[in-house]
Amino acid sequence: MGRSRAGSPRELQASCCRCEADIACFAATDGKLLSSDVTHYVIPDWKVVQDYLEILEFPELKGIIFMQTACQAVQHQRGRRQYNKLRNLLKDARHDCILFANEFQQCCYLPRERGESMEKWQTRSIYNAAVWYYHHCQDRMPIVMVTEDEEAIQQYGSETEGVFVITFKNYLDNFWPDLKAAHELCDSILQSRRERENESQESHGKEYPEHLPLEVLEAGIKSGRYIQGILNVNKHRAQIEAFVRLQGASSKDSDLVSDILIHGMKARNRSIHGDVVVVELLPKNEWKGRTVALCENDCDDKASGESPSEPMPTGRVVGILQKNWRDYVVTFPSKEEVQSQGKNAQKILVTPWDYRIPKIRISTQQAETLQDFRVVVRIDSWESTSVYPNGHFVRVLGRIGDLEGEIATILVENSISVIPFSEAQMCEMPVNTPESPWKVSPEEEQKRKDLRKSHLVFSIDPKGCEDVDDTLSVRTLNNGNLELGVHIADVTHFVAPNSYIDIEARTRATTYYLADRRYDMLPSVLSADLCSLLGGVDRYAVSIMWELDKASYEIKKVWYGRTIIRSAYKLFYEAAQELLDGNLSVVDDIPEFKDLDEKSRQAKLEELVWAIGKLTDIARHVRAKRDGCGALELEGVEVCVQLDDKKNIHDLIPKQPLEVHETVAECMILANHWVAKKIWESFPHQALLRQHPPPHQEFFSELRECAKAKGFFIDTRSNKTLADSLDNANDPHDPIVNRLLRSMATQAMSNALYFSTGSCAEEEFHHYGLALDKYTHFTSPIRRYSDIVVHRLLMAAISKDKKMEIKGNLFSNKDLEELCRHINNRNQAAQHSQKQSTELFQCMYFKDKDPATEERCISDGVIYSIRTNGVLLFIPRFGIKGAAYLKNKDGLVISCGPDSCSEWKPGSLQRFQNKITSTTTDGESVTFHLFDHVTVRISIQASRCHSDTIRLEIISNKPYKIPNTELIHQSSPLLKSELVKEVTKSVEEAQLAQEVKVNIIQEEYQEYRQTKGRSLYTLLEEIRDLALLDVSNNYGI
Amino acid sequence: MAGLELLSDQGYRVDGRRAGELRKIQARMGVFAQADGSAYIEQGNTKALAVVYGPHEIRGSRARALPDRALVNCQYSSATFSTGERKRRPHGDRKSCEMGLQLRQTFEAAILTQLHPRSQIDIYVQADGGTYAACVNAATLAVLDAGIPMRDFVCACSAGFVDGTALADLSHVEEAAGGPQLALALLPASGQIALLEMDARLHEDHLERVLEAAAQAARDVHTLLDRVVRQHVREASILLGD
Repeated sequence: MGRSRAGSPRELQASCCRCEADIACFAATDGKLLSSDVTHYVIPDWKVVQDYLEILEFPELKGIIFMQTACQAVQHQRGRRQYNKLRNLLKDARHDCILFANEFQQCCYLPRERGESMEKWQTRSIYNAAVWYYHHCQDRMPIVMVTEDEEAIQQYGSETEGVFVITFKNYLDNFWPDLKAAHELCDSILQSRRERENESQESHGKEYPEHLPLEVLEAGIKSGRYIQGILNVNKHRAQIEAFVRLQGASSKDSDLVSDILIHGMKARNRSIHGDVVVVELLPKNEWKGRTVALCENDCDDKASGESPSEPMPTGRVVGILQKNWRDYVVTFPSKEEVQSQGKNAQKILVTPWDYRIPKIRISTQQAETLQDFRVVVRIDSWESTSVYPNGHFVRVLGRIGDLEGEIATILVENSISVIPFSEAQMCEMPVNTPESPWKVSPEEEQKRKDLRKSHLVFSIDPKGCEDVDDTLSVRTLNNGNLELGVHIADVTHFVAPNSYIDIEARTRATTYYLADRRYDMLPSVLSADLCSLLGGVDRYAVSIMWELDKASYEIKKVWYGRTIIRSAYKLFYEAAQELLDGNLSVVDDIPEFKDLDEKSRQAKLEELVWAIGKLTDIARHVRAKRDGCGALELEGVEVCVQLDDKKNIHDLIPKQPLEVHETVAECMILANHWVAKKIWESFPHQALLRQHPPPHQEFFSELRECAKAKGFFIDTRSNKTLADSLDNANDPHDPIVNRLLRSMATQAMSNALYFSTGSCAEEEFHHYGLALDKYTHFTSPIRRYSDIVVHRLLMAAISKDKKMEIKGNLFSNKDLEELCRHINNRNQAAQHSQKQSTELFQCMYFKDKDPATEERCISDGVIYSIRTNGVLLFIPRFGIKGAAYLKNKDGLVISCGPDSCSEWKPGSLQRFQNKITSTTTDGESVTFHLFDHVTVRISIQASRCHSDTIRLEIISNKPYKIPNTELIHQSSPLLKSELVKEVTKSVEEAQLAQEVKVNIIQEEYQEYRQTKGRSLYTLLEEIRDLALLDVSNNYGI
Repeated sequence: MAGLELLSDQGYRVDGRRAGELRKIQARMGVFAQADGSAYIEQGNTKALAVVYGPHEIRGSRARALPDRALVNCQYSSATFSTGERKRRPHGDRKSCEMGLQLRQTFEAAILTQLHPRSQIDIYVQADGGTYAACVNAATLAVLDAGIPMRDFVCACSAGFVDGTALADLSHVEEAAGGPQLALALLPASGQIALLEMDARLHEDHLERVLEAAAQAARDVHTLLDRVVRQHVREASILLGD
């Protein structure tokens, strides 16, 4: 042998001898160690790892040793997805499990004997390694090997004392009798496996063509015969339409520009939304067009012969490269539907919450009890003989229609896991209690620049904001120049790389804001306290300070470093704006000024007002420079969440555009920009930056056409021309037009993304929207993980400048790329969940209202897009976008009488470029133009399996006459917050009412009484069910 | 199907080695009596046989003779069954020529050719599943066996680069995976490089690390070869003593 093995031996247990083989027990990089305080170690057989990995993933199961043999079996037989799951499990420091490379260990390796089957050899190897392990631990730690192989149990069961061989079911029963979830999961896996076996014996006719083998696919992709891409199912026509977005190199060679249409389930060939698929193009005469008409999901029979758009490339799936199956939320069919499905109701078809996922077949006996719940399932397989995929039941989320259940649904659907922080994670947190308050440590005081006395530091945030992660300062230097400072909370000081809390934060990647609540990325002791730059307390910060020329505000010098600050004022936007406007009466609202005497108050106030004024001045200047390069201002109503003392949401307000907002934003953009430059210079191949690729011109066509309808011209050639022409496109009579145009422009843009500089050419770093060559996120480390990474990079860059050793290792380009992908993915999930939760609240708001009578269900709407059988509407009052049909299911079209009230009459529709005309058979006609105002009735379309949806119905072609004009102007932006407030309130009240068991029958409560917990009614219902069951049982006997 | 994992998360390679570990090396010197020097080496599954004739007078055209130093003539051939595809490689195909040329370059740098002007040294190497490294190591032993004065041992080793880690002494599977591969021949005592060859693309930043891995492995090879030589000399002296 050449060299001695790398790495030094570490001890497995205190009692364990040091020996070479020990090294094999540990991962080389992170050195995970099994805890020694468990009662036994468990070694799963290869079959158990393959089939029950989900159960082994339970954090409750400790001391698991995965043998290399078992892992390889997973890799070869179960494919990359499951193997990656296993790898992640092994990497995850929170799970108490390790890999033992038994085949590389001299004493454990067994050659395969002649004539021995692979399976037998694997089991024998694993058992042999288990025995070795037992002796290795000096016979002190019992080892349990779990296997599904009956013969193995017989053969090895009593061979070695201290090494027990039992079945997995047996193991769960004996060692984890209380872990109910694991038992249920085990049962459901067992059952679905049995089903599968039965099924494969029965020979069905094939429903789908077989997938091609991988080599054929890869060769096909290379030769250009097949095309690889991600399958995207059309939400509104899930049964029929799916598109494949081209991926990577294949799009370059072929001259396809658009996506590829996959028409029908047969052509989709068992692929599910999100899978990476390989597609074969059909001959041109079989190409189809996409549907442009509006449609509802339930009625996907194409009764009305709409004319689809012109044919586009159409293909069929010939193979799946990567399955992206996740957990799905489903609903069991109601009782009546079960009966209609027939008596062999062991197998039940459940409907996923997400329209894009096909129905899943599940075998369970609990179907009846689970009827009213939202349930999580997993897909196991999809054989070519089966119309639907097979799955198994995992867990219950909550009742249908219940607020908590629905929110949990949204979280699961976006793969967001928000379990509370564990004890191990909290142990890493510094303490700050009244008894032992947190203090600045003397060593840190030495290392950091102290700005507490020299700088006036203050923060400007929304009212009631808890996690203040940025503060500002500005002062005049001795040489007359100005010094602008941005000070960001030093989160990385508290969160060490690869600590438990760091790993957790990395998995979460961002703080999730839902309409009524938020899930923090970091525990509140950090996010709301020690890292929050509150007024009047000492805090650690990372600062950037620029020296600016006194007149031209040109940047002369820049300094980056760690500091200690004490924020003097925690201002909120409105107050800061008042101060800026010279209205000093708001002083009374600022708590910091309360206890001061008149004189010092005056002096301090002047100082502050000067600082804010100067800041604004600088910001205007920087902004003007950026505008010159073509920075865009886009419609994107940022919503801020206001919390009251009890952490309840007390308001949700779209940010009012104040100048102070822009000032603060500009300072942050400047800081981000300079940090981006710095880390890129120091680490050209492994810096995390944020790019915003320029949009595709073809996406702008809708915007251009819309603008043309109003007589505006939008020049989309560059960001500068776009910004200018958007500014010009302003209808003085209708401010909503500009808002809609801007939101269309936003939609046409691609999303901004994080990336690693090593993975992209420098020209691609550009940020289109902000018109900056380099940009990153640095200013909100409390709620974004990307900022934490950037902070670490900046710190490393500073120590590199000082020629100091770089502490800890940075992410390599490859790791960083993967991390960026993860963060981008989580950000998208955060956005989706926020949107879905807002929609949920909107629906709950309208749910129990009678649309015919209730005043608030009638509103004004603006048409922003035209389809063949309807129009898309925007309702400014509620911020809702939705479709309204001009032709109903019976084929009747809308018509408006002289009083402009609408009716349904037989007739036809005719669509033009920017208008749609509905003509009835009696010759009446009504035309809707783009940007017309109409009156809309809002109602809710309830759905059991999916989320409720809002329905819009045009009831008049005239703008809605507001009963009192004041209401719409004053409170329109506030309504969204009111909506959330009202829904939460009524849910709370309903709960309260149930707790005291008062049967108040009021209109508002009617709906919630049934869905929420144990009301008398549901209790009685359940008793009745039980009684029925009993009777039938007796009858059976 | 999962792609082959060349380096596992735990830091093992496909055959269970760590990144910097060598394959098992076994070597013998003096395997043929009729040649001036000969050696046989096994590096994992790679086996190489080297034979040295000379220094002797120039054979063939005398015009090739060099006035100031000896001519080193290298020939490489591989067995038909030794590669992935069983293919007859005629004498003097491009690949063998290239390998011969590389070997020649390497040994011209190591052998003190100026001691034998106007003469010729023939090195014939035959390898199964041959790699450059095994050939060089075998030839070194053979040249030593022939008693031709050299500056130093020439020790060669290959290195590759996978997932940000440099792997020493690539096996066939690792080579076939198609990553960058570097071959290095080192004079270990002086640390001088006799030959460095790489034809794949590798980022400049990583080169240092890969080079260091290969050099370290070459030094390890040196200790092993040194042991073999000493063993051989001891055996020979015992024989002579009798």
